[in-house]
Amino acid sequence: MNRRKLLAYGAAVAAAAPLAACGSNDDDSSSSGPVELTISVWSMDSTPEFKALFDAFQKANPDITIKPVDILAADYPTKVTTMLAGGDSTDVITMKNVIDYARYAGRGQLKDLTSAATSSTFSSANGLDAFKQDGGKYFALPYRQDFWVLYYNKKLFDAAGKTYPTNLTWDQYVDLAKSLTAGAGQNKVYGTYHHTWRSIVQAIAAAQTGGNQLGPDYSFFTDQYKTALALQDGGATLDFGTAKTQKTGYASMFETKKTTMLPMGTWFIAKILADKKAGTTDVDWAIAPLPQRPGGTGVTTFGSPTAFAVNKNAKHSAAAQKFVEFACGPEGAKAIAAIGVVPALLTEDIRTSYFALAGMPTDETSKKAFNPDKINLEMPVSDKTSKIDTILNEEHDLIMTKAKSIDGGIAEITSRVKNEAS
Amino acid sequence: MADVLTAAPPTAASSPPRRFSRRWRNTLIGWSFILPNFLGFAVLTLVPVIAAFVLSFMDWDSYNAPEWIGLKNFQRMLHDESTKVALKNTAYYALGHVPLTVLAALGLALLLNRKIAGVGFFRAAAFFPYITSMVAVAVVWNMLFNPEFGPINQFLHFIGVDNAPGWTTSTSWAMPAVIVTSVWRDMGYYMILFLAGLQAIPTEHYEAAKMDGANNWQRFRHVTLPGLRPVTFLVLILLTVQSFKVFDLIVVMTDGGPGRATLVLSQQIYRQGIVEGEFGYASAISLVLFLLVLVLTLTQFWFNNRRERK
Repeated sequence: MNRRKLLAYGAAVAAAAPLAACGSNDDDSSSSGPVELTISVWSMDSTPEFKALFDAFQKANPDITIKPVDILAADYPTKVTTMLAGGDSTDVITMKNVIDYARYAGRGQLKDLTSAATSSTFSSANGLDAFKQDGGKYFALPYRQDFWVLYYNKKLFDAAGKTYPTNLTWDQYVDLAKSLTAGAGQNKVYGTYHHTWRSIVQAIAAAQTGGNQLGPDYSFFTDQYKTALALQDGGATLDFGTAKTQKTGYASMFETKKTTMLPMGTWFIAKILADKKAGTTDVDWAIAPLPQRPGGTGVTTFGSPTAFAVNKNAKHSAAAQKFVEFACGPEGAKAIAAIGVVPALLTEDIRTSYFALAGMPTDETSKKAFNPDKINLEMPVSDKTSKIDTILNEEHDLIMTKAKSIDGGIAEITSRVKNEAS
Repeated sequence: MADVLTAAPPTAASSPPRRFSRRWRNTLIGWSFILPNFLGFAVLTLVPVIAAFVLSFMDWDSYNAPEWIGLKNFQRMLHDESTKVALKNTAYYALGHVPLTVLAALGLALLLNRKIAGVGFFRAAAFFPYITSMVAVAVVWNMLFNPEFGPINQFLHFIGVDNAPGWTTSTSWAMPAVIVTSVWRDMGYYMILFLAGLQAIPTEHYEAAKMDGANNWQRFRHVTLPGLRPVTFLVLILLTVQSFKVFDLIVVMTDGGPGRATLVLSQQIYRQGIVEGEFGYASAISLVLFLLVLVLTLTQFWFNNRRERK
C-alpha cells in the first residue's frame, strides 16, 4: 500500500466512524418478537425501585427483556446529556430531575408523550404538571413523586419527655429542636438536622409563602433563613460549614440517632425500611407533616417528581413507550409502593397498601403527613432555572456560613439573577 | 509500510534528483515514525482544540446545529460576574501556588542534596504526596482543615490562637487552604527537578567561589541560583500552566465554595459546557484561558532569554 492510499484509507475510516455511531435506528413499530429494551438508570444497587419495576414489567411482557444502563448517581445528568448529544439509542431515559428534563425536551431529544399524559390514567398523577412544556406538550411521565415530611425518632422524644410533633409552626419547631438538643462533643444529640441543600430553606419558603424562586423578588426567603440560622446559632443542628466540608450524610445522622428530628423527602422511607430489615439500624421512627409558616391553611410541602421518557433516537420506540406507560401506571405504582417508594399515581388503594408494609409507622399523624394538602414543585422549570439554581446555591452557602447577612445575601441574589439570568 | 521503504530505488540515474528523493525518503521515514503518536494527538487533542476554537464563535447546545454568533460569547464574558470572579480566583491561586511551591521545592531540594544517612528515604517521603490520588489528598486535607474537629485548628487552639480561621467554610480562608494543600502535594515533584538541577552544577564552581572567600549565602546567590536557572525556568512554566488548569483539587475540596470563593476558570468552563450545555460559551472561556496561559508563558520565555543574554 503506498502512502497516498494509506492516507486516503485513513481519512475514509476517520470520516465513517462517527457516522457509524449515529446510524442504525431500526424502529420496530410493530414490537413483535423478542425485544431487548435498554433503560438508563442510576446506581441500580442502591435504588431498588428500578429492579421492582423491571421485574414487574418483564413478568407482564415475557417477550421483552430489559437491559439496564447503570450510571453512577452523581454523574447521571452529565452522562445522559453526553449520551443524548452523541446520538445514543438507549430506549428509555429516566429523568432524574425536572431541570435536565426541560433541557432535553427543549432540544427535541425526547419523544412526544402528550396523548398518554392527557389520558384519564395519568392525568391524576402527582407531579405531572412539572413535565408540561410549551404548547401543552409532555415528553415524560412521572412514576414517583416524593415530597418533604418531618421524620422523628420516637425513643429520643420519649427520653426527653416531649409529645410527638403533629402540626408545628416553624417557630414551635425551633423551640422544640433547641429543647431536644442534649449532650456535648462526640455524644451530642442534635434536636434536628438540616441538610446542606438550599431547598430546605428556599423551596420551603417558596412553597409556603407563594414566592417564586425564579425571582425577581426574593424577600420571601427572609423568615425561613431566620429559622435556619436560629437553629444553627442555638446549636440545635449541626453547623452548616461542618456538614458541608465533612459531606455529612443525613441518613447516618438519623439512623445513628445523632439527631431527633429530620426534615427530608419521602425517598428516605424506603431506605429506613431497607436498613432496618438489613439490621444496620434499629431507629424507632415516625413522620409528621412538615412544619408550616403561620397563617397558611392546611399542609403545604414541596417535592420533585422522577419520570421516564422515551429517547427520540430509541431503537425500540414502541416497546419503550409501553414500558413507560406500564411503569408510570397503576401496575408500576403498585410494584414500587411494595418496596416503600412513593409512586406518582398515589391512589387511596396504594396509600393503604403502602402503610401496610412491614416496618411502617401506623399512627394517624404519619398517615396524615403522607397525604399533604398541597405539594408544590421544588423548583419552577424554565430555561433560566439552571442558571438561577447555581446562583441560589452559591448564595445559600454564603448566608448559611454567615459570610453574608440574610438581607445582604438576598440583595445579592436579586441583583445576580437580574444581571446573569435574564 | 514496506512499499514506502522501497519507494525510491537507489539506482536512480542523475545525482540532483537522487539527493532530492533521498531527502524526501528520509523525511517520509521520519514522519512514518511519528505518525502513530501524531494520529493519536490529532484525533484526541488537535481536532477538539480546533473545534473548541471555532465553537467559541458559535452558540451550540451539543445537540442541535451550531449557530454562528460572532463575538457575542466574548461580549457576554465581559458582563459575566461569575467568569470574572473565576478569573480573579485563578490568578489568586496561581500567585499563591507558584511562588510557594518553588520555594518549598527548592528548600527541600537544598536540604536533601547532601550526603546524609537515609537521604533516599526522605526524598521518597517528600515525593510521596505527588503520587497520591488527588481525591484522597483533597478529602484528607478537608478533614485536617475542619474548623471544629480538625487537627490544624486544634493545634492552633493549643498554642493559644483564639480566633482560628474557618478554612474551607470561610470565604476568605478557603483559597489559602486550597493553596496549602496543593503546595504540599506538588512540592515533591518539583523537588526532584531541582535536585537534578543541583547535581548538574559543577563542583568546581563552588570550589572556586570558596577560594575567593564566598560565604554560604554568597555561594547560593551567585553559584547555585544562576546554575539552576534552566531548571527554575522549566519549573515556573510547568507550575504556571498547572495553576491555571487547576480543577480536580478544587472540585473535591470546596466545589468552588463557599459561594464563589474558590471558583476557578476550568471549573467555570466545566459548568457552562458540560453542566449548562452551552458549549459555545464554554469554548470561548477556554480560548481566553488558553490565550492567558500563552501570554504568560511567552512573557516568561522572553524574560528568560533576556537574562540569559546578560
